Amino acid sequence: MNGFFGTDTADLVATWVAAIVTIVVLGGLLGERRLFGWSQHLLAGLATGFVAMLAVHEVILPRLVWPLLAQGGPGRAELWIGLLLVAAAAGAPWLPRMVAAVPVSIAIGSLAAFALSGAVIGTVIPQLVASVAVDGGTPVETVSSVAAAGITGLVLLGFLHGVPRGRTLQAAASAGRWLLVAGIGGWLGYLLLSRLLLLLDRIGFLLGDWLGIGR
Amino acid sequence: MSDRRALLARLAPAVLIALLAAAWMLPETGAIRLASADRSAADEWAGALASLPEDATVLVGFDPDLGTYPEVRATVRVALADLLNRDARLAFVSLTPEGRALLVSELGRLRRGEANAARLLDLGYLPGAEAALVSIARRPGVPTAADGELARRVAAGGIDAVDAILVVGGNDLGPRSWVEQVRPRVGDLPILAIAPTVLLPELQPYLESGQLAALLGTPRDGAAYRDATELGPLERLREAPEPAATAVLIGLLLAVLILGEAWGRRLLSQLREAGRLGRDAA
Repeated sequence: MNGFFGTDTADLVATWVAAIVTIVVLGGLLGERRLFGWSQHLLAGLATGFVAMLAVHEVILPRLVWPLLAQGGPGRAELWIGLLLVAAAAGAPWLPRMVAAVPVSIAIGSLAAFALSGAVIGTVIPQLVASVAVDGGTPVETVSSVAAAGITGLVLLGFLHGVPRGRTLQAAASAGRWLLVAGIGGWLGYLLLSRLLLLLDRIGFLLGDWLGIGR
Repeated sequence: MSDRRALLARLAPAVLIALLAAAWMLPETGAIRLASADRSAADEWAGALASLPEDATVLVGFDPDLGTYPEVRATVRVALADLLNRDARLAFVSLTPEGRALLVSELGRLRRGEANAARLLDLGYLPGAEAALVSIARRPGVPTAADGELARRVAAGGIDAVDAILVVGGNDLGPRSWVEQVRPRVGDLPILAIAPTVLLPELQPYLESGQLAALLGTPRDGAAYRDATELGPLERLREAPEPAATAVLIGLLLAVLILGEAWGRRLLSQLREAGRLGRDAA
């Protein structure tokens, strides 16, 4: 069913291990906490091991070590700078504050700049433009555009707390909060369906892939 | 809580699982369908694929997360098979370790399903989060070990060799990050997304504003797309069996019952409290 495993011995073992761990995790629902805790440790350990392997095989060796060795000299300046950055971060407890803090701050600042500029250019501006109520061509589109703008305004008003306000503003804020609750409720309805599908996937794996019971 | 109630509460999850397991085994008659009756998302998706040029190269950003991947897995598999069936070439890249793990498994499944290997290119794992996305928007890096026409095409043309981007999202670095970091840098390159429901509120505005060309963001939209898609000779790549709609319905009804019971109990206790206050006042 999940199709991750083939038919050879290794895949058979993997299916059995996955089935046992699935039963252990489902057993957590019935109150068997100790085995469930071990399964969490197993997951954390496997994930850490996988990330370490990924870092070595797909990042450190092919993107740093091999290019540096291939150059045989200071040809790839950006890689040496990266290496110095790692050294500064790793040696921070022993290095003078300025030597460690400045390069690490520049690296963190650069990453934050990517995220922030992307959010402004890719989300804030286009979404502001898209949420402005415009004549969409058909009456339905225009009305829905105006309604969307109105609901956005009411929900924003719903976040006003501790600000002196009149009866109208209070009513609008209350309407905004109810609209917010309705939106979250609708979303939770979708989430209920999605979580059920995840549970059924596990049940289907146990019955179909492991026990071989067809449907 | 009385002993009987405590025992019931302890057994309830087991009963739920047993009920769902029994429902899962029921044969699907077609009377209950998971697919959404509103096919607009599926049609939009199919339209976006149909508008791709012949022999298109699609960059697949594959970063689902382990927890929610089963929700979109069947749809992702049909989408990949659909693209291959349309003679597209797929270049895969992952930006998260979880995505990489799942991608390796999916590529293994495609190999076992004898998908045309010449049309698949694994660009590997790219660290660096947003910075990595920016580097993809400039020039997707092709591993030195990669060979074949697709690798040469992507290495030579960079992002210009790509006709569309398909993002399989999870939690981190999903479609939102691609829209924010890649779209402003690549112009009108269409971005299609498959994402779990948990991302729907975040992604719907991008679809409405046209920043996403198409989105399959709910299980029902995904099922509608799968229902409408013919995979021809690649039908073997479709996941079988489909999620059990009867079991889903039974699960939903149980959830509604439990919620209703909790709500009713709360209402009853409030009424009792109001009655008590009334009596005290009298």
